[in-house]
Amino acid sequence: MPLAPPPTPWRLLVGFARPHPRRIAFGVLMYLLSGATSMTQLWMLGRVVDEGFIARDGGALAFWLALITCAVIAQPVFWSTGFRMFVGAEAANQRTIVRMLTDHLNTAGTGLRGKVSAGELVNLPSEDTRRAARAISDVGFFVNNLTMFVVGSVLVWSIHPLLGVVIVAGSAVTALVTGPLLGRLQRRQADYREMIGDLTANAADIVGGLRVLRGIGGDLLFAERYRERSAALQRTGYRVANSSSWIHALRYSMPIVFVAAITWTGALLAADGAISIGGLASAFSFATVFIAVSGNFIGTANFLVAAWVGTKRIARFLAIETDVDDEGTLRGAGGELRDPDSGLVVPADGLTVVVTAETAPALAACERLARYRDSEAAWGANPLGAYALAEVRERIMLLTDEDYLFAATLGETLRVEPNAALAAIETACAHDVYTGLGATLGAEVAEGGRNLSGGQRQRLRLARALAAAPQTLLAVEPTSAVDSHTESLIAERVTATRALLATLVVTASPLWLAHADRVVWMVDGKVHATGTHAELLDDPAYRVLTSHGADA
Amino acid sequence: MSVDEKHRLPVANAAEVRRAFLRLFAADKGRAVQVLVLYTLAAGFSVSVPILLGRVVDGIGAGWSIGRINLVCGLIVACVAVQFVLSRLGRRAGYRFGERAAARLREGVVGRVLGLPLDRVEQAGRGDLGTRTASDVNTVADLLRDSGPTMATAFIEVLVLYVATFVVDPLLGLCALVTLPPLLLAARRYWRRSSGAFLAQRAAMSEAAETLTASGAGARTVSALAMQEERRETGYARAETMRERFLRVLHLQVEFFLLLLWINRLQLVIVVAAAGLWYFQDGLSLGTAVAAITVAVRIANPTNAVMVQLNEFQQGSAALARIEGVNLITPEPREAVPDGTDLRLDAVTFGYGEGPDVLHGLSLHPKAGERLVVVGPSGAGKSTIARLLAGIDRPRTGTATMGGVPVCDIGVEELRRHVVLVTQEHYVFTATLRDNLILAAPDASDALLEDALRRVDAGWALAEGLDTMLGDEHRKLSTAEAQQIALARVVVADPGIVILDEATAGIDPASAGNVEVALAAALAGRTVIAIAHQLQAASSADRIAVVEDGRIAEEGTHAELLAADGVYAGLWHAWRGE
Repeated sequence: MPLAPPPTPWRLLVGFARPHPRRIAFGVLMYLLSGATSMTQLWMLGRVVDEGFIARDGGALAFWLALITCAVIAQPVFWSTGFRMFVGAEAANQRTIVRMLTDHLNTAGTGLRGKVSAGELVNLPSEDTRRAARAISDVGFFVNNLTMFVVGSVLVWSIHPLLGVVIVAGSAVTALVTGPLLGRLQRRQADYREMIGDLTANAADIVGGLRVLRGIGGDLLFAERYRERSAALQRTGYRVANSSSWIHALRYSMPIVFVAAITWTGALLAADGAISIGGLASAFSFATVFIAVSGNFIGTANFLVAAWVGTKRIARFLAIETDVDDEGTLRGAGGELRDPDSGLVVPADGLTVVVTAETAPALAACERLARYRDSEAAWGANPLGAYALAEVRERIMLLTDEDYLFAATLGETLRVEPNAALAAIETACAHDVYTGLGATLGAEVAEGGRNLSGGQRQRLRLARALAAAPQTLLAVEPTSAVDSHTESLIAERVTATRALLATLVVTASPLWLAHADRVVWMVDGKVHATGTHAELLDDPAYRVLTSHGADA
Repeated sequence: MSVDEKHRLPVANAAEVRRAFLRLFAADKGRAVQVLVLYTLAAGFSVSVPILLGRVVDGIGAGWSIGRINLVCGLIVACVAVQFVLSRLGRRAGYRFGERAAARLREGVVGRVLGLPLDRVEQAGRGDLGTRTASDVNTVADLLRDSGPTMATAFIEVLVLYVATFVVDPLLGLCALVTLPPLLLAARRYWRRSSGAFLAQRAAMSEAAETLTASGAGARTVSALAMQEERRETGYARAETMRERFLRVLHLQVEFFLLLLWINRLQLVIVVAAAGLWYFQDGLSLGTAVAAITVAVRIANPTNAVMVQLNEFQQGSAALARIEGVNLITPEPREAVPDGTDLRLDAVTFGYGEGPDVLHGLSLHPKAGERLVVVGPSGAGKSTIARLLAGIDRPRTGTATMGGVPVCDIGVEELRRHVVLVTQEHYVFTATLRDNLILAAPDASDALLEDALRRVDAGWALAEGLDTMLGDEHRKLSTAEAQQIALARVVVADPGIVILDEATAGIDPASAGNVEVALAAALAGRTVIAIAHQLQAASSADRIAVVEDGRIAEEGTHAELLAADGVYAGLWHAWRGE
């Protein structure tokens, strides 16, 4: 992975354009031609009126009409080719962004935990990507509209400078008045949008707890609450409608005011003989089309702002760094693992069971030993941080309920050849997972293991860890969702298959303790005592903890 | 994906969606008519601008005075002013209409979701129902509030402009209409072909989002198992699909926009040519010709606006189809009235879907006030017993009855007054602690709620107060705390029969015991059926049923079963570490 500095939004946007120089150049050319052609059509309409209609010249009418027809055929081709070029680049950009996000998830890895919410991870490849990728198309539209504006202004100017002044000033005023108005409308809607968000979250909450609401009650209560909030939203919506309807009407009417101004000016000029009737018709048509152009400028500006926001979020995501640096170089370590923080030591082989009343500190110790957090932990004679991370990951494995099952076949999930996979399934007593999915390693495990029960997911995760056969396995409550009978079988089989490897299990279950070579009793996150299960049973507190409710 | 497919909720077909749209309009008829009238009048006044321009052109030819020209142009400005006011009123009425329709829609959906049968809720999963009540509702609401009014104004403007060409000159009006059929055909073709393409594009985006979310959620797993290469391949494949589907949409768009632009401009050429011919034959005045040409120039803008909004409309329809799908689920009527609360399973067999039997002729009869613990290995069918007793599923053969009638036929509201099922899944609502507890008893006093919390040993909750907001953004609860809330709810609900399906699994060994003890005290006198894979709760039970392979293998008190030295005794000794 290249260790480039995190990109700024600006650099990202430029980077999106860089791979498409020819596409962009060709697209700009097409949009230029399209803008010029469409404006010339309107100018030619004036010639038709003057030289054809007023002059009553059939030949001239046919001539100009033929020219207009050529323009009418060519302009859509120019425009759509430009569109294809720019939007094609936009599609490629979407791919680029999702690839960048994918790669960064790999690079930053566990560093993303707690820094990016699940909601953000949904938005990044969908809404944010869509917005950021769109920037290039909007730049294209801007070029197209600018061409129309410049060519149109020049042509109107050629009819009469005064009309030119009115049209340029009118467009400027339209854009200046409606642009900020629109911005204000968006701000006013911010509260309203937030309320919509809250109500949506409320609906999601109801669906999430639907089982509870149906099973115990509260459905009527929650429906009533939702209705109240929905009515409140409606009232706010009414208020927004009051003000936004003015703004929308203004936005819609401004251009028509501007058309009226052109008509009035043009009519006076025409009555004066300063311009022809054809010139008046052209000017009116230009004004009509400029309505669309000024509207497009505003639309483009809004999309570019959205693109900037999306790009900023992507840049922020890309700036998140990994939480465990990979600067160590040592390989081929051996020996015991030590965590000075808690005093926990994992010998190079055998089954160590950690007994504790609170799982959290034991989990934290295991995270330090597996180097998911930087600490003073040591492996053999060297600090754990001195080893290459790949080496640590390959040889020390942490197994918790946080482990994730990706959408894949059963075989792919276990990541070993079929016989080893079946052996791991056997050891983890996960045969019901295998048969339940159709007794084939080709069966699909859904994303997050959704098609399995909680207990099945736990045993499948265990099977996956066993199949990897790491030199050291640190398992935190690996059988908490399993019945006693099965738990006893798992403890027996895991101990047998991993006899020559190091295994640490955090559990208070006597079924595991029966097989332990060594027991570590942790109190308040520190090692309190170490010994065999039989030795430690002398302490009444320990006995209470491990003998399932027996009296001290 | 394929795994979940068979449990998906239904989706409404095109005719049902049309009816749903009509219902939304019919429910607020007066307002809808008002909106239409205002929009039409506003468009009418705006169209008067080119028509009056025609008058001016003719007037100049006829040698009008400057004063008269100013008068007519002043009239144009007055029309614009009236149009401005009308369009504001129309917009406001339009927004209000949309706002009300959106409110009706979302309240309707949530109301229906809250009435769904439990088995359907469980099958569908949260994802599907969640999207329907959240993002689909928002999509339709946006259509009703924003793009709907915009499209309606543009559509009415197009209609008025066509009418205007007829007013200017009927024959030219006919000429303008020539291009309408190909335009409609092109639009229909685009509508049909693009709907699938747009849906596919959106689906590709959500698949990418799902893949990336998985990579994020499984970041540690990716690191532990060195899965970077695979995640990269999967992510890149999603990116590629996104691009391909986008290009498909682009292809359809380019084709449609090309046709649209051609047809729009062709209309102008036809009108100019026809106006020229008529004019040369003295069929119309110069002013009429200019008016017709300028109206034709104007038609293009709103036409494009309507066509561009087609996609929004399409997406709104797709969302409405999914929302209406919830309507298509017809709950079975549950009207049986139980005579007493005697709950029992008699020779039941049951299996999920088309699958094989999970229970084989199993009978179980919890006595009133008894504490019955059901133990056995995973997959033996323990949770299925709970579901049959709670009336979520119906046995294939045999009967699950309460008070002599099938549990599945008793109305949900009636049933839950007597029987409550608590599972491992402890949902905490984003609401105050009080609201999280009073579900079954909306009028419960604070003293009663505090007492319930005390009974499940939730000292932390008492200390923080009933007004504390719970939920991930406010006060995030640990598994054990969430569990205590779930149990306190049951204490507040105070049903005669409580079914606990592994309700205390997943908490620290030290606290699990406390909760068990507290709960036993809280539920004293109730009939409790506890499903457990661990044996914590078994020894103090009135009766223990050991389930193996969908049958009751052993039944009796702790002492009896230990004496029998069977399956249970074996488990017990192993578990105690003896």
